[in-house]
Amino acid sequence: MNDVDRRTFLRLAGLGLGAVGLSACAGTGSSGPSGASGKKVETLTFWSNHPGSSKPVEMQLIEAFQATSPGFTVQLVDAGATYEELAQKFNAALTGGELPDLIVASDVTWFNFALTKAITPMDDLWDAAKLDTDAYVDSLREDYKFEGKHYALPYARSTPLFYYNKAKWSAAGLPARGPETWTEFAEWAPKLAATGGGAPPMTVPDGRNYLDWYFHGMIWAFGGNYSKEWEPTFTSEKSVAAGQFLQDQFRQKHIAISNDANNQFGAGQAASLLQSTGSLRGLTKTAQFEIGTAFLPGPRPACPTGGAGLAIPDRISDERKEAALKFIAFATNTDNTVTFTQATGYVPVRKDALDDPDTQAFLTQNPNSRTALEQLKETAPQDYARVFVPGGAARIGAGLDQITAGGEDVKTVFQGLSDETLKVYKRDIEPNL
Amino acid sequence: MTTTAARPAVAPRQTPGDAAAPHQSSRPRVRISGYLALLLVVLLVALPMYWIVLSSLKERPDIYTVPVGWIPDPLTFDNYTSVGGGVAFTDYLRNSVIITTALTLIQVTLGVLSAFALAFLRFPGRTVVLLVILAALMVPNQITVISNYALVAQLGWRNSFAGLIIPLAGVAFGTFLMRNHFLSLPTEIIEAAEMDGAGPLKMLWKVVLPMSWPALIAFTLITIVNEWNQYLWPLLMADDASVAPLPVGLTQLQNNEGLTNWGPVMAGTVVTMLPILVIFLLLQRHMIKGLTAGAIKG
Amino acid sequence: MSAEPITAAPLAVPPVPPAAPTARSGHRLRDVLVATAFLLPNLALLAVFTYRPLLDNIRLSFHSWNIASPTATFIGWENYVEWFTSSDSRTVLWNTVVFTGVAVIGSMALGLALALLLDQKLFGRNAVRSMVFAPFVLAGAAVGVAFQFVFDPTFGLVQDLLGRVGVESPAFYQDRGWALFMVTVTYIWKNLGYTFVIYLAALQARRAELDEAAEMDGASAWTRFRMVTWPQLRPATFFLLITVLLNSFQVFDVIHTMTRGGPLGNGTTTMVYQIYEETFVNQRAGYGATVATIMFLVLLVVTLAQVFVMERGRKQ
Repeated sequence: MNDVDRRTFLRLAGLGLGAVGLSACAGTGSSGPSGASGKKVETLTFWSNHPGSSKPVEMQLIEAFQATSPGFTVQLVDAGATYEELAQKFNAALTGGELPDLIVASDVTWFNFALTKAITPMDDLWDAAKLDTDAYVDSLREDYKFEGKHYALPYARSTPLFYYNKAKWSAAGLPARGPETWTEFAEWAPKLAATGGGAPPMTVPDGRNYLDWYFHGMIWAFGGNYSKEWEPTFTSEKSVAAGQFLQDQFRQKHIAISNDANNQFGAGQAASLLQSTGSLRGLTKTAQFEIGTAFLPGPRPACPTGGAGLAIPDRISDERKEAALKFIAFATNTDNTVTFTQATGYVPVRKDALDDPDTQAFLTQNPNSRTALEQLKETAPQDYARVFVPGGAARIGAGLDQITAGGEDVKTVFQGLSDETLKVYKRDIEPNL
Repeated sequence: MTTTAARPAVAPRQTPGDAAAPHQSSRPRVRISGYLALLLVVLLVALPMYWIVLSSLKERPDIYTVPVGWIPDPLTFDNYTSVGGGVAFTDYLRNSVIITTALTLIQVTLGVLSAFALAFLRFPGRTVVLLVILAALMVPNQITVISNYALVAQLGWRNSFAGLIIPLAGVAFGTFLMRNHFLSLPTEIIEAAEMDGAGPLKMLWKVVLPMSWPALIAFTLITIVNEWNQYLWPLLMADDASVAPLPVGLTQLQNNEGLTNWGPVMAGTVVTMLPILVIFLLLQRHMIKGLTAGAIKG
Repeated sequence: MSAEPITAAPLAVPPVPPAAPTARSGHRLRDVLVATAFLLPNLALLAVFTYRPLLDNIRLSFHSWNIASPTATFIGWENYVEWFTSSDSRTVLWNTVVFTGVAVIGSMALGLALALLLDQKLFGRNAVRSMVFAPFVLAGAAVGVAFQFVFDPTFGLVQDLLGRVGVESPAFYQDRGWALFMVTVTYIWKNLGYTFVIYLAALQARRAELDEAAEMDGASAWTRFRMVTWPQLRPATFFLLITVLLNSFQVFDVIHTMTRGGPLGNGTTTMVYQIYEETFVNQRAGYGATVATIMFLVLLVVTLAQVFVMERGRKQ
């Protein structure tokens, strides 16, 4: 196998059109190499997609940072409307543009950057900066661990949450709490269906809107997994049982799969919803009824983490890395975590932010936010098959669509997921480990 | 549905001698079915448009209701305030105007020159050149962006107007359009001009262009529309409000996780669309008028 | 190139280069020089920013390349073998053919019907003309967003209208067939203004006296359309066939915003969408480049065939 350096390769491609002088320098790249540059860093470039409409609060954090570090400016770049667009822009920059100093990377996008060494492992930087990383919520910090190193710090983090319509709950004569287990949900569902006026007992987003994330909790609750490390476990008895349960509930019209589950629930057209904690504020504003929240049905723990962290590109100078980490540490210090959390609805990424009096006052006023925080202790990092194997989320989402809307056999579909996951792992991951 | 409804339109009887209005219907039955068809068209085309505008004027909880609310109640302009309220809105608008204007000028000029060469000049490999230009329309931009990014970054044009404009300035579609149009011009006039010994530039200015306004306006309009709505390339190229155009600037209205607040997004859509619609309204009269005149002359 | 390279009014147009204008052999050298000056800037831009990436892309298609990685590995024809043997490709190809076919025929037929209607002296036709064109002005992503509302089975316009006559909304976002229908209709709606404007321009440039003569002869409306109007619209039809096909084949925004290629994984995944997904979601830029190369070749063949067929038709 010939390994071709891609820049050489692009340059050669350019020369293919030798008549055009310009193209000869295509893609030779200008990103600074790693290592010390000896230059003083005065400007940091921060690529964000402003998760949770957070641009104003990001600006606020930046201003505060600039005030504490005179001479420093942080340039906030609108790097896309979604995590995927941001990743696309970063991928483009990796071909030879100027790299930013820090980027927002989602649960699904960060790993490939770590695998290809496009973002830097942070552990040494942490040590050098004497950052107390134990202060971060353990499961959120450990999400970014790969081969013993950490590649990001948690920033706009969320988890799935069980939302319910209190009015529909009491109309069905149910206690004002979420179901403790999926079995209990199955018992409650007929009552909700009977009194719901056509609204399904539960709605969840479809396979193109991260059903695979919401089902993650369900498959764990049944004792199954998408994978154990790199080994797919879709076909284990317990995993199949979870898929079977989802299919049965869908067929009995207890669970609806929706292209816009959020708004369906928000408009009172479904009795309950599985959705990100990040939607809490929006739903509360939209809904004309009282919303209750609960842990994902168990037996617990059955809740994956999600959302985004902040990562630092690898191919920038050490000085820039240090400066970038300094900003990340500032943006996620106790005060700023509290500010960011309250402005966006994301969960606090630090343990001490939970005890902060400001947070406590906020939680007293917003008991639904409290549920999200308490559930945080029950969360675990996601299975590799979803977040590390390329295309994993979309692949599993499609499989779940197939067993619900598509009505296909669970065992067959899960066997297909297992085979495909293994194939992709062997082809795209294993050679790079 | 529109197809059947429009069928009667084929049937109009023309009033002999009314050269200015050659297609006037006179039979009442035909006219009435014509109007019914018109109504149907309005409904099919306009309802989704109304939907967009409607959502932009609603308060957040009213956007999603069952049954559907056909009238905004209460009517609110808050969504527009949140679009315009962003500090950089006027910057984005200015950038959009600069980029679109520059690209339109360059593309129309290059397109007309290329088309003129392909239509009127004799040189070896003419057909090949035409096919090469046409084939550029078959290259999806998903595959050009990465390679072009590397080149533009190397040239130091990132986050600059040059980087946003030059890579998009080559024109394939317009060349094809204008060339086809030029070939439709009456050969007698072209030949007469040549007999008079007019050079290529003079012929272009004095003979060809004056006969080509409608096509040129159509070309211009379509170029404006395309460039105004560019998203992927500016997203990759631009970093801040100094050069980013409206579609990139307005992405911040979207929420990533969970619930997108559609009101401001729709308001952003309307605001982005309006300037182009106004340009169309201004130009379409000339286009139609020019076309009609051309038909009579031709 | 432009996200949507597209569109405009071909008026009354002979489709293929006719024999070069007469009596000019004396100016040949001057012609060559002038043509070079006129064509060079445009060709240079296309060479650098379209063809150079295309060549890159063709080379990449023989490599395995994780888009974030600095190195690519040469793997020969493996990507091509994979594409041609994968069952996924059959679905993608089918989606592409259905979407493109229906979009081309649908938007051209409707555009022609509308142009015929609005060519009539009807009160308010100017306003309606603008209205028909308006959707074309919208960005594809905006149209996609708006039509998510339109087709939403819970809140949408379509379910509301169907509900009034007692029909339940189809599962637009869950059924492959309906999803493909939904994105196709949406694209036709957006593109209608383009075919309409081109046909309207061609209609206005046609020779009314032929139509009148036919009417004097007592020909029926249908006969007049078939024998007199339609032949005069041939150049416009040819122009539209080529440009609408090239555009429809490359529709991305509408699909991305409405279904992201779903449901059931690839329900509305077309070749362009597959390129995007393989390159940027699955990070397999080499494989994405393979799909892009295949797509380019398909389009090249189809367009050349169109040119060839129309040229023969013109000669007869």
